Amino acid sequence: MLAPVRHISPLTLIQRERVLPVSGQVIARQGQAVSPNDVVAECILAPRYFMLNIAEGLNLTPERADKLLQCQKGDNVSKGDMIAGPAGVFQRVVRTPYSGRVKLTGEGKVLIEAIVSPFELKAGFDGKVKRIIPDWGVVIETRGALIQGMWGNGKAAYGLVQTMLKDPADELTVDQVNISVRGAIVIGGYCQDPQVLESAAKAPIKGLILGSMSSALLPLAEKMTFPIIILDGFGQIPMNSIAYKLLTTTTKDRDISLHAQAYQSSKGNRPEIIVSLPSLGLIEPLLETDAFSSGQKVYLVNKSYTSQTGIIEHFLAKPFMFPSGIIAPAAVIRLDNNDLVKVPLASLETFGEKTNMETY
Amino acid sequence: MTTSTTNANSLLAIDIGTTSTRALLFDVVDGQYRFLVDGTAPSTAGAPFFNIGEGVRRAIDDLAALTGRRLIDDHENLIMPSLSDNSGVDALVATMSAGDPLRVIAVGLLEDVTLASAQRLAATTYAQVADTIKLNDRRQTADRINTVLRIRPDLVIVAGGTDNGASQSVLDLIEAVGLASYLSPESQTPHILFAGNQEIQKEVSSALKGIGKLHIAPNIRPTLNLEDISPAQGELTSIFKIIRQAQIGGVNELVGWAKGNLSPTAVAFSRVIRFLSKKYDPDKGVLGVDVGSQSTMVAAAFNGKETLRVYPYLGVGTGSVETLQKSTLTGITRWLRFDISEDVVRNYIYNKAAHPHSLPVTKEELAIEQALARQALLLAVKNSLSDFPPNIPRPALNILPWVEPIIAAGSVISKAPSSGQALLILLDGIQPTGITTVVVDQNNLSPALGAAARINPLLTVQIIESSTFLNLGTIIAPVGKARFGTPILRVRMTNRAGVVTTREIKYGTLEVLPVKMGEKVRLHLRPLHQFDIGMGRPGKAGEVQAVGGAAGIVIDARGRPLYFSPDPNRRLKLAQKWHHVITRKI
Repeated sequence: MLAPVRHISPLTLIQRERVLPVSGQVIARQGQAVSPNDVVAECILAPRYFMLNIAEGLNLTPERADKLLQCQKGDNVSKGDMIAGPAGVFQRVVRTPYSGRVKLTGEGKVLIEAIVSPFELKAGFDGKVKRIIPDWGVVIETRGALIQGMWGNGKAAYGLVQTMLKDPADELTVDQVNISVRGAIVIGGYCQDPQVLESAAKAPIKGLILGSMSSALLPLAEKMTFPIIILDGFGQIPMNSIAYKLLTTTTKDRDISLHAQAYQSSKGNRPEIIVSLPSLGLIEPLLETDAFSSGQKVYLVNKSYTSQTGIIEHFLAKPFMFPSGIIAPAAVIRLDNNDLVKVPLASLETFGEKTNMETY
Repeated sequence: MTTSTTNANSLLAIDIGTTSTRALLFDVVDGQYRFLVDGTAPSTAGAPFFNIGEGVRRAIDDLAALTGRRLIDDHENLIMPSLSDNSGVDALVATMSAGDPLRVIAVGLLEDVTLASAQRLAATTYAQVADTIKLNDRRQTADRINTVLRIRPDLVIVAGGTDNGASQSVLDLIEAVGLASYLSPESQTPHILFAGNQEIQKEVSSALKGIGKLHIAPNIRPTLNLEDISPAQGELTSIFKIIRQAQIGGVNELVGWAKGNLSPTAVAFSRVIRFLSKKYDPDKGVLGVDVGSQSTMVAAAFNGKETLRVYPYLGVGTGSVETLQKSTLTGITRWLRFDISEDVVRNYIYNKAAHPHSLPVTKEELAIEQALARQALLLAVKNSLSDFPPNIPRPALNILPWVEPIIAAGSVISKAPSSGQALLILLDGIQPTGITTVVVDQNNLSPALGAAARINPLLTVQIIESSTFLNLGTIIAPVGKARFGTPILRVRMTNRAGVVTTREIKYGTLEVLPVKMGEKVRLHLRPLHQFDIGMGRPGKAGEVQAVGGAAGIVIDARGRPLYFSPDPNRRLKLAQKWHHVITRKI
């Protein structure tokens, strides 16, 4: 059975596609070392056109106006340039109000594409350009720690971390988010107070990593200009132990990349934290597809055990009826605290680590 | 391709859903078509495969393991037609709902006329109208061009004018669409479906020649007072297939196996509803609903004339957040029979959207998911009412007209722990009126049967007639106004043994007549205080034959529309009472 995968690893080979939303121009070269703020590709995200009615402007029929055009398709024009005329007793002319390029002319009209600033796609993390995707982007590779979450507000940042966490169940409070964390990526546990986010914006911080958050804060979190990643869920949920350990050790005194992209399981996009680390030797990437197997470490997503991790002890021979009355394939999981619990397979995620176990 | 040496007419139906891919096997048993078994696998249209082929293969492998029937040959091809050793199948059909909804721009002359029709056409498939362009929307041509380029639609639907009606205005609207298509990179050029004034088809084709992927369909608004989107739906289905073939890997191969017979799941489902409307009482329509993880669909047919609406972001899994956002939190919590705080409910919904595959383990979690299903149904049915033909018999405006039967599908319903729970979700969400029967498509066969009808209508007819749907119960829902506690209906039930029982039903109650599954009874119904049970006029009494369903025979006198007490404690107690009444063992 195919298993959903969530990557949390202290050291792995990370390859990420950095792709434009529309086709454009790739600027980076294959093999180029990149930093997070390096532009790797650019495009015109939303071209802007404007149409000038030169027939109306010159007070002529479209056919006659076309004969007085002073530009043609493909010409670059600057604001104020005369593009048609002069005509009539008063020597009427038509000037372009914007700079741009002439795209179409005819029937007494001129269509001009305005100059707009291109959208710049940045590398997002330290690495090397592994492959070019012509007209669209690049694949960047690095080695380091990778921590994936379940919600992000769509922003990105790169910087040093400051952790406010002493325990995975700690709540991030407003007195912890002050001038002392200015410019840092702050790591907290649970957040339910809107003033925490408001103080973070005032400080300002560079980014925020939380184990969990009250969903009541979502409208505010989406408005924040700094990235916010939630690792484990909505509600008061302790940060999962694996991420907690990594964030309180590996990231110490290091720059980390925060990509708080929205979680879209269909596209494989997860909000994630990348910590590029120097390393030698062969490192394998984590699996993108996985199957359940006995002895495998798993992450639990169902409400009763959210963010807990454990090991699959064995699979139940028959679908199991849970207290809700739902009957589903299930496994017995030994949690990290040694409790044994029955969990539907549909409520488990693996970490994508290679095992030699027989799969379910 | 291996050659056939058999006359068997086995059929394999593949359904690619957002979450699961299924392979359903139908074959002839004792001279009749039967549904045998299905294989299931997680859908792989999305990450990390981005190719439906992996999910299809796994579903077929699962089916092969269950049946012992070899379906794939050594070269990884489907064995078709079937062979003398019973391997392979004779035909394959496919349905699909997976993939992001198509991004659509609707173009029409007048907002309430042709533009509304264009939007209704878009709503018959998995599409979302991102913007509209109309005659009087104040944007200049360049602004319209910028809109189309910014949105990057998959499809532009152009409607207007009526036949022999407006022409230049339509061509003016098309100008911006054509220019935007011309300016777009080839990979982003939208499909354009023209379903307007037939008199200007040539001019439209000429204007868009070489610059757009143009499709022509009959006018969806041939006159001001007549809307007919059915002929254009066929063209829309073709466009859906072309777009999916370009967007998602493996769809090409599946279309090849199915010899072109790939339909959007909703369209195939709707075909079954239309077929049933011709089979049953012509004075009543037939209603079909499907509540899924990402989307909900409502299909209805009245004497062969169908309506279909797909709500792509109204669901109980990936669509749960949108269901919440289209309601209020109270709109969800009012259905609960447990005292669960709004914070907990909201958190659960957002967590469920992030992990749509996860299953509710506790009764409280299940109650939240079933509340979502009720609310999704309520919103979908309410929005669909305006699509129904205006002249059909109905007790009042803004409530469901008389329909029978009601076919329900979707895992949240078909896999509910009890028939009573499934029925209560449907009674609460759909709020049927008069006398009807509610059935559950527990194996989710309807889309496969709808797809199969195009190549083997006999299979579809025989499967439907073979009691493949589970009868949840006969429902009697009187419509009218009274004070709570007022008797509004007298019921006299006579069973086959001639035993007569009588009941007086009070307004505001939900009651179950203890009739076992399959047991036939005669019901004499006398509405009081001018309540209407669909016998021809308010207050008219009558007699009906009824069959007990899995939940018996249910009299839903809670009112239409359902009334919710402003007191949360009272609401909670009523929800608990209704749950208890309908889930009691008969």
